[in-house]
Amino acid sequence: MTEIKKYHWAEPGTINEWVKRMFAIRPLLLCLFISALLISELRFDWLEQTVGSFLVSTNGRRPESGTIWETGRQTRTARKFLEQIVSDRQASQQETRQAKSFKEIAATILTDQWVMIAPDHFRRLYLQLKPETAEKIIPPFDLLKLINQKNWDRTYFEKDGDGLNIYILDTENRVLTQLTISPRLLYGMGESQVKMDETLENLPQFKNRIYPADLFFQALDSLGEAVRRDTISQPDQLLRYPGHITRVGISGGALSGFIELGFEIENATHRIVILMNGQEHAVQRLRTKLEGRKPMRRKHEGM
Amino acid sequence: MISTTRIIRTLITLFYLAAAVAGTGAVVITGMFFYIVKDLPRVPEPLSRIIETEPTEIFAATGERIMLMGGREAIPLSRVSPHFIRAILATEDHRFPDHHGIDKLRTLKAMAITLFVPGKIQGASTITQQLAKNLFFSFRRSYMRKLQELMIAFQIESQYSKDDILEAYVNQIPFGVGAYGIENAAQTFFGKSASNLNLEESSLLAGLPKSPTRYNPYLHFDRAKKRQRIVLLRMAAVNFISQQDADNASKTELQLQPLPVRARTGSYFLDTVIKRLENRYGPEVVFHGGLKVTTTLDSQMQAWAAQSVQEGLQKLDRTMGLSDAMESHELDTEQLPQGALVAIQTNSGAVKALVGGRNYSQSEYNRAVQNNRLPGSGFKPFLYYTAFEKRNLHPATVLIDRPVTISVAGAPDWKPKNFSREYNGPIILKQAFLSSINTIAAQLVALTGPEDVIATAKRFGIKSPLSPVYSVALGTSGVSPLEMASAFATFATGGIRHNPFFIWRVEDSFGRVLEEKIVSGERLLDPAIVHQVVDMMRGVVDSGTGSAVRRLGFNLPAAGKTGTTNRYKDAWFTGFTPTLCTSVWVGFDRNVGLRDSRNIGITGGRGAVPIWTDFMKKTLADEPSREFGIPPGIRLKSVNPRTGQPAGYYTKDPIQVVLRNGQTLEGEHIDLNLH
Repeated sequence: MTEIKKYHWAEPGTINEWVKRMFAIRPLLLCLFISALLISELRFDWLEQTVGSFLVSTNGRRPESGTIWETGRQTRTARKFLEQIVSDRQASQQETRQAKSFKEIAATILTDQWVMIAPDHFRRLYLQLKPETAEKIIPPFDLLKLINQKNWDRTYFEKDGDGLNIYILDTENRVLTQLTISPRLLYGMGESQVKMDETLENLPQFKNRIYPADLFFQALDSLGEAVRRDTISQPDQLLRYPGHITRVGISGGALSGFIELGFEIENATHRIVILMNGQEHAVQRLRTKLEGRKPMRRKHEGM
Repeated sequence: MISTTRIIRTLITLFYLAAAVAGTGAVVITGMFFYIVKDLPRVPEPLSRIIETEPTEIFAATGERIMLMGGREAIPLSRVSPHFIRAILATEDHRFPDHHGIDKLRTLKAMAITLFVPGKIQGASTITQQLAKNLFFSFRRSYMRKLQELMIAFQIESQYSKDDILEAYVNQIPFGVGAYGIENAAQTFFGKSASNLNLEESSLLAGLPKSPTRYNPYLHFDRAKKRQRIVLLRMAAVNFISQQDADNASKTELQLQPLPVRARTGSYFLDTVIKRLENRYGPEVVFHGGLKVTTTLDSQMQAWAAQSVQEGLQKLDRTMGLSDAMESHELDTEQLPQGALVAIQTNSGAVKALVGGRNYSQSEYNRAVQNNRLPGSGFKPFLYYTAFEKRNLHPATVLIDRPVTISVAGAPDWKPKNFSREYNGPIILKQAFLSSINTIAAQLVALTGPEDVIATAKRFGIKSPLSPVYSVALGTSGVSPLEMASAFATFATGGIRHNPFFIWRVEDSFGRVLEEKIVSGERLLDPAIVHQVVDMMRGVVDSGTGSAVRRLGFNLPAAGKTGTTNRYKDAWFTGFTPTLCTSVWVGFDRNVGLRDSRNIGITGGRGAVPIWTDFMKKTLADEPSREFGIPPGIRLKSVNPRTGQPAGYYTKDPIQVVLRNGQTLEGEHIDLNLH
């Protein structure tokens, strides 16, 4: 068994003894060490450096908090928000530049936004219209006057419900003339598209929505005059082509309040499909009729 | 001997006690350290990341940048004047190159002063600590925040070079008047780059961060100079410059750049613009999105507007005998009358100048857009238009000027009185308008009904809610100077209304357009009737209640209407030329009337017209004289102002009136019997 040596501290009896103990080598070394520690800290800042280095090592794990990070976050959010506005507008503007009709322009404009086109583009679209429709937008003579004034810089379009507001602007963004295309007029422009040697089956938008012509017209007949007019606004376009309408396709989707209809006409030599738009509300009623369903009641409508 | 031993024993006990406290302290400090660093924010890498935010810039229509919000214009340290670097080091932290985030000697000294000098708190933050505070912490003072700030300072010192730290610091310190960072400050205060700052300029700027508002040299130049002297003495004390240099620099006169528009003349305007931007895009986008906003402001016009309002109000102070009281400090600025001015381009609605008060730095309350001031007779043009339109009256129609009583269902009878308390008997409407006769206005509103007058005012562009009571015709519903200017601009355009606007275009930081103002007017009023009223308003300027316009030397074709409310609480003049419409209001914020030193009330003609005239004279000095357009179907007739009959050779003071097609001078004598 190991003997545990016990030291007993005894209080010095005299002042000399006290002094002797206080200035012994161990207390002096301790004092020196503490002093060296303090002086070196004052001189070399090792404590700050140690703390600093420790914090550098933990930097990556700490939260991105505080004013500067908050500002950074706000900046990113702001940029994202602006980027969204700009990209929406650019996409819309891009589509507008390629638009081949006022109707297409109406379809590209997002709510609460606007698009611009060049005067030449406007003129091209205008010239495609039937004279009576063009006259309703702006009489050709007035348009001629505007062109000759030479201060027509841009044409600004904004949506007005289902219609369009058009502003002819000078270089200082002053409105030279304001034009309006009402929803009815816009719809009435109904530029039909003719696809030669085509059948409705080949057009994916009509998949599962192709009806025999007699059924289609029977259903159409049973609806009111206004609905019939809103479904086929330009029957003359269908009359232009020889042959009989054999089948009618109704597109599954709607765009800007219009639904595409496809009329398949067959004659002795070939088969064509004429595409034109019907107003959404009228075509939906027709479709309901065709499918033998009652129109779905909107939730908020009373019984 | 026993007592000596007892003392030593006590000392020993104290020593062990101290050792125990120190040991416990060490444990606590270690624990605290980990507690403090637990939630420390991450320091960005590189430190220059702090200057990556894009500023939102606001431009005047004339092209000058009038405001920079958020963002920083950071420059490398090599492009900062050595004078400024030495000045800022001497002032804020002269041991910066030597310490590691904390200046221990200065901290001990500051602690001693804070503890032992009553009522004095000494700060000892180093540049690194200030940087840490500005980057990560709010300005709420707490011991925890202070310790965290210190820890971050240690980290920054360990992670970055002294140059990096100093560069980040000088690029983000606030100098006041919206200037952040040394480059921005040098441009703002001295119109030069930070690299070209001399000793005098550097020492002035280095003194500002301590309290940018208190030492704002535009408002408190003497204070700023005293602070500059302190900076120079500090520089001399730490041997950055000689005492001689310090003395010379402190005596050198400083040429401050004229205060930027944002801080002097454009702030009410900018407040309005920023509010509108915030409503559209949200504050986050406005302050951090790097927008480029082109406003409608004309800087020169804005400067003249501010000057005209300032000088006009100073003259008004003298007229009211308030100047002496101000000088003897019996009154403070809050007790002085205030003013507002809005100038609108008539053919677009663009707000070219807007002043919302006497001094933005003393009161940010924007009186130009607040709709709480009664327009008084300034509302009568809408009434006369309504009467002409609805009842086919014309300026030569005769009514009787006499005391009238109008019964109001469920309320006491309305008994309007003339301003002069005199009654003239039969009088044509144009003369009644020129003399701003209230009893005639009351008869007209009784004829048309207040609802029609309100509908007309709305068509002209008044947006504030108006009470459908008879007295609305005498301007008893609150409107703003902005509305008045906009509505009167509709008269100037012959009835085509343009809504007022402040922003032409907003782009993102890449210059892609987010919105553009399309100037489109709406014809909502009959141009012939508008011309009849405009002709009467021209009479107001040429010979009526606004004739001071001509006496004060404004000679271009102009029209307008004065307005003064009960007990002279509001004095208005809204007037226009064919191109510019300006509305001026003066009055007290508190419920007190405007009276001169002889206790005579101050009307719109005395209080607002001089400001309007001064502004319009300056603004349109180089404009050619341009007449108001005359619509078709108009003819002029000279008539007797009492009978409304065609003027003959002997007719005294005949008056010219405008008649529309189909209107004759026969039989338009109306007596409503409103006794």
